[in-house]
Amino acid sequence: MQVYLPIAGISVDAMLLVGIGFLVGWLSGLFGVGGGFLLTPALILIGIPAPVAVASGANQTLGASVSGLMAQWRRGNVDAKMGAVLTAGGFVGSLAGVQLFALLRRVGQVDLAVSIFYVVVLGTVGALMVMESVRAILRRRGAKKKRLHEHFWMHGLPLKMRFRKSRLYISVIPPVLAGFGIGVLSAIMGVGGGFMLVPVMIYMLGMPTAVVIGTSLFQVTFVTANVTLLQAVQVGSVDIVLTMLLLLGGVIGAQFGAKMGTKLRGEETRALLGALVLSVALSLLWGLVRQPEALFAIGPAL
Amino acid sequence: MAMRMAARLLPLCALLAALLAGAPARAQDQPLVAALSTQEVRISTAFTGEAIMVFGSTDQPIGPGGDEIIVVARGPTRPLVVRRKVKALLFWINGPSARFDQVPGFYAIAGTRPAWQLLPEAARQDNGLGLDALPLTSTGSRSPAFRAALLELEKASGLWLEDAAPVEIRGGRLFNVALPLPATVPTGDYRVEVLLIRSRRIAAREEMSFRVERVGTADQIADVAEDHAFFYGIACILLAALAGWLGSVLFRRD
Repeated sequence: MQVYLPIAGISVDAMLLVGIGFLVGWLSGLFGVGGGFLLTPALILIGIPAPVAVASGANQTLGASVSGLMAQWRRGNVDAKMGAVLTAGGFVGSLAGVQLFALLRRVGQVDLAVSIFYVVVLGTVGALMVMESVRAILRRRGAKKKRLHEHFWMHGLPLKMRFRKSRLYISVIPPVLAGFGIGVLSAIMGVGGGFMLVPVMIYMLGMPTAVVIGTSLFQVTFVTANVTLLQAVQVGSVDIVLTMLLLLGGVIGAQFGAKMGTKLRGEETRALLGALVLSVALSLLWGLVRQPEALFAIGPAL
Repeated sequence: MAMRMAARLLPLCALLAALLAGAPARAQDQPLVAALSTQEVRISTAFTGEAIMVFGSTDQPIGPGGDEIIVVARGPTRPLVVRRKVKALLFWINGPSARFDQVPGFYAIAGTRPAWQLLPEAARQDNGLGLDALPLTSTGSRSPAFRAALLELEKASGLWLEDAAPVEIRGGRLFNVALPLPATVPTGDYRVEVLLIRSRRIAAREEMSFRVERVGTADQIADVAEDHAFFYGIACILLAALAGWLGSVLFRRD
């Protein structure tokens, strides 16, 4: 069944979109991430213009993370105070990111910038995840007790604040900066940034694992909402028909993924997710390096 | 699909028959009569493209040795940028570009024979008959490769057509041709020109127009997104959140 996407201005098979939504939702349910980092490249691959793919990707990630946030909130796994601090940074970051996006669009380098961001960010995160989890798997038997969290330079910063749910008393500067960085990436890549935020929260901020997923979903929800609004106003590239079709598949897929996720062990899940992230990065890198099929491209004059 | 096509062609056949009956009477004062199958192409959420039928009749026999017909359709123009990818170190990035200010969003030409066989070169260029005769002026890079690339890309997207199918002749004096509009066809006013070529000269011309419009939900969404971007953004947020919330309620496992 073909459906006309009013903002993208093209006709796409509706079942294909629902199917992509389902697959991405399934993976995101399995790994506990939003899945925007898979969705945006997939949309670009089937011919959706990059600006529409990024903006609608953020919009669909919003829906997917609301679903997860509700579940985590019911279980009391959300540190709302930490979430608010991260979100404050995220708002400013996404504002800056959308400006940068609009600028890149004017000079005609959006596709390149989106690809490079993906390659660098996904490549780094994927490689780190694979390395870390492989090490954990190898070391599983002779595991040493780790300290709750270690003190380093970060803990000397001013503006300390108490985060009761996370059992932390730290400066607000690191979480605000982390939120800002992820806000920028969110606006340019159309992702929620959960896959980057989770390691930052665990390794940098030293938050307990139990509240990490819920709190990252909290931040992702608000930042993607902000990105959606900014993209709609500034670039005009949010396609609600596209978003809803993706969500239809995504919401169902996430449930199946979550059910399967409970059967996998933590390290294996992380290694798989890392491999997935890394392979997306490599395929995008290949797209940048190899000789393009068409040397010329047309775009609207802005 | 076939049913829809048949339903659309039925009134067309009736029209053709009426035209045929009226042709001899009208032929005295008008050498060329032409019409379109529709004045309005509606883009709804189920739009996958449509063919617009151009048909008519002449007062003298059409075909080799006699009259010839050229049909040309032009869509609304828009500015476009053509960019060339260049290799910078390792990566292929967008390099030099050329900006074309008046690029027709749709252009189709068809004839009983290709236009270059029917008209002297000067007349063909003056009337913009053929993709190579389109008046495209550019700023930026001067290389002719950009113009050539624009032609190639527009042809590949199905928005520019040159002699995709010849104008068909029926019963000596009736002609018809279908111009396919792809799903990506831009909205706006389209001009269709039918030219009667007699002894390598344009003997008569008929100008018609049709509109391509978004209708229904697709139109409302595009309108709201454009005119009330802020509220549209808010609506997108709320709808996505609602869909996510519904999902979590429907699949709640307690």
